[in-house]
Amino acid sequence: MKKPITGDINLLSFNQKERKKRSIEEKKALWGWVFVLPALLFFMVFSFYPMMNAFYLSLTRYNLISLEPPKFIWFKNYVYLFQSPEFWNSLKSTAIFTLGTFLLLLVFSLALGAFIISRKKGRTLLQMIFYSPALLSSVVAALIWFLIFDPRGLANQFVNFVMGTPGVDHKWLATAGMLRLSTIIVYFWKYIGYFTIIFVAGMGNIPQSIHEAAAIDGTNKWQHFWLIVFPLIKPTTLLVSVMAMLQCLKTFSTQYLFTTSGAPTKPINVITLNIYNTAIRDFRIDRASAMSVLLFLIMLVLSWLQFKAAKERDISYM
Amino acid sequence: MKKFVFWGLVISLFILSVTVFSAKKTVITYWTHTDDNRTRIEERYIAEFTKMHPNVEIKRVVNEASKMGDLVLTAFAARSGPDIFNLPIEQEYGYIINRRVAPVDYKAIGYKSLEHLKADYADNTFDPVTMDGKIYGLPLEITNWCIFINKKVFRSAGLDPEKDYPKTWEEMADISEKLVIRNGEIITRRGFDFRYPYYLVSFLPMVQQLGGDLISADGKKAIVNDEAWIKALNFMREWGPHGRNLGSPTYVNARKIFNYDNNDIAMCLSGFYQIGRIKIDNPEFYESGEWMVVPFPVFKDAVQEVACAYYGHYFMVNASIPKAKQKIAWQFIKYMLDHPIEYLTEVNIIQPRKDLVESDFFKRLPYTDVFMADMTRAKPVFLHENGYQFERYIKEAIEDVMLSNVKSEDALATLKRKIQEVLDEK
Repeated sequence: MKKPITGDINLLSFNQKERKKRSIEEKKALWGWVFVLPALLFFMVFSFYPMMNAFYLSLTRYNLISLEPPKFIWFKNYVYLFQSPEFWNSLKSTAIFTLGTFLLLLVFSLALGAFIISRKKGRTLLQMIFYSPALLSSVVAALIWFLIFDPRGLANQFVNFVMGTPGVDHKWLATAGMLRLSTIIVYFWKYIGYFTIIFVAGMGNIPQSIHEAAAIDGTNKWQHFWLIVFPLIKPTTLLVSVMAMLQCLKTFSTQYLFTTSGAPTKPINVITLNIYNTAIRDFRIDRASAMSVLLFLIMLVLSWLQFKAAKERDISYM
Repeated sequence: MKKFVFWGLVISLFILSVTVFSAKKTVITYWTHTDDNRTRIEERYIAEFTKMHPNVEIKRVVNEASKMGDLVLTAFAARSGPDIFNLPIEQEYGYIINRRVAPVDYKAIGYKSLEHLKADYADNTFDPVTMDGKIYGLPLEITNWCIFINKKVFRSAGLDPEKDYPKTWEEMADISEKLVIRNGEIITRRGFDFRYPYYLVSFLPMVQQLGGDLISADGKKAIVNDEAWIKALNFMREWGPHGRNLGSPTYVNARKIFNYDNNDIAMCLSGFYQIGRIKIDNPEFYESGEWMVVPFPVFKDAVQEVACAYYGHYFMVNASIPKAKQKIAWQFIKYMLDHPIEYLTEVNIIQPRKDLVESDFFKRLPYTDVFMADMTRAKPVFLHENGYQFERYIKEAIEDVMLSNVKSEDALATLKRKIQEVLDEK
């Protein structure tokens, strides 16, 4: 008597179904690749290739205007940069600007985000008002502020009015400290709204039930913010801190416009400005590429540190 | 019959392809900077030229003057530079040194030799664009700067502009002290102020007056005559907020506010083109005769009589385009430049052509005598492959002494180190 073969038939049909299913998944995956391909190609051509090319150029001696091909010199450009007082000054200027601006942006955008989300009316209007400077081009923003910081401009008039010091020139665009402060003010003014909106969105995503539970537990506003809201918007805080830091490290337009309009270069000669001048004014694209690679590494390490620090303090109420 | 049809087809195809090929237009791209008056007349020249040469199309691309240098450089770096362009000669010099521009095809523009071409222009016109016996550009304009004076402001300070105008830099500082009005530390009216970013044009001649120079004659040593440099830097330091507080790079450009006659500036440094701009910006002030032009001052103890350096914009042709195209490009440039009077009257720029500068028409124009007299005691602007880099270093040195209160000796030591480093790398 033959054994019934029902199970085998079932297994067979299962395998066939599985194969069919897999082939559908494979097809889906293939289409996935098709859809992703333009973006990948775009990234390869406009981001990855320039990055690789910049790294290659950083190992050569190459004049931007010359017809002579690049000459391979290994790490001489890097050695030069580490011995160059101008490069160290650029690192210092970038560090001062980034620390000053990034911390202010982070703290104030968080505070403003909390303020806006706590309003029952006028949220949209407030967001629009804070965000509007971000719509201006950086060059236009820097131009407006250049006029404000002119010795006869609004900045001196306002500070002298508030402090009761008529006729004092606070040298917004002249002395090193004031010039650094001026660039920080411009950047802060331009980007505070942008990061505030990100915080508003992050805070808006917290489920209402959590707010209600906290209210039932009797938290006051201060406790509610620091013990409930703040830990829950950690991913947003991380996003803002990484974005703000990278944005600050890449700052260029304000410093460029200020220095070309008469402000001293040295205090605000951030790495990006140094890269621009080295490549475009001095034609040394090789050294400019080496600086770009170093800036990239700095950004990479600092972002990684931020992610690592955020992971160590992971909190979840879900 | 088949043979007949076959050959008939071959010949027809050949004729068709030749016709199509010959009908294909030669497109010349011409990049220049914004200037509405120039655009107006040059658009007309393009229309006239293309009418005479139906197979030629000229694409005139206008860029903001401040961006032109960057755009041309990046285009050339990517091997896709324009066929024709113009820039200040300080920027163009690197293109000559690196053989990126073609020598003037003098035969194509109707000259028997380069000597004949030179004979049509004022002496030394081609010095900045001559290398190894070849000429690499035709001048759109040559400019030098003199001092523009607002007579009303002078009189308001009890000065007679005709007699009391500054002849030396020391007088310039003293007269500015009389003209300046301050609200505490803040200057509300300046006597005079410099053209700050253009140090190779206006500051280096001041150093040269005192016997100094940027690099030695053999091109190997940075900073000639430290004492001259220190004296010039000290003068700038005294001019700034840490000295007599007569002006500073952080105030609005003096040349830009001069035309408006708002009692906020008495003197500025500018070229002949400023006259046209006064006419446009403030016709009433232009007609009033309340402005005048005087020569570039010299230091009391100057060892050289040097006026503000003259510089120019030259038309250049991309060396990487085919010779036939280069020929058309030079012909088009020549066609435009054959209208020197129109460039002068409509755009207020001086082409150094003898038929213009030696004409009675030119000599009768206001203050051309002052500009031309200063030109004879001027040197061409400092030219070097790294000229712009050196100018940035001078800028940093002047900013250090004027704004950051750094000692002139220290600023000079830094300047010397940076320039020497560039020279040593050559």
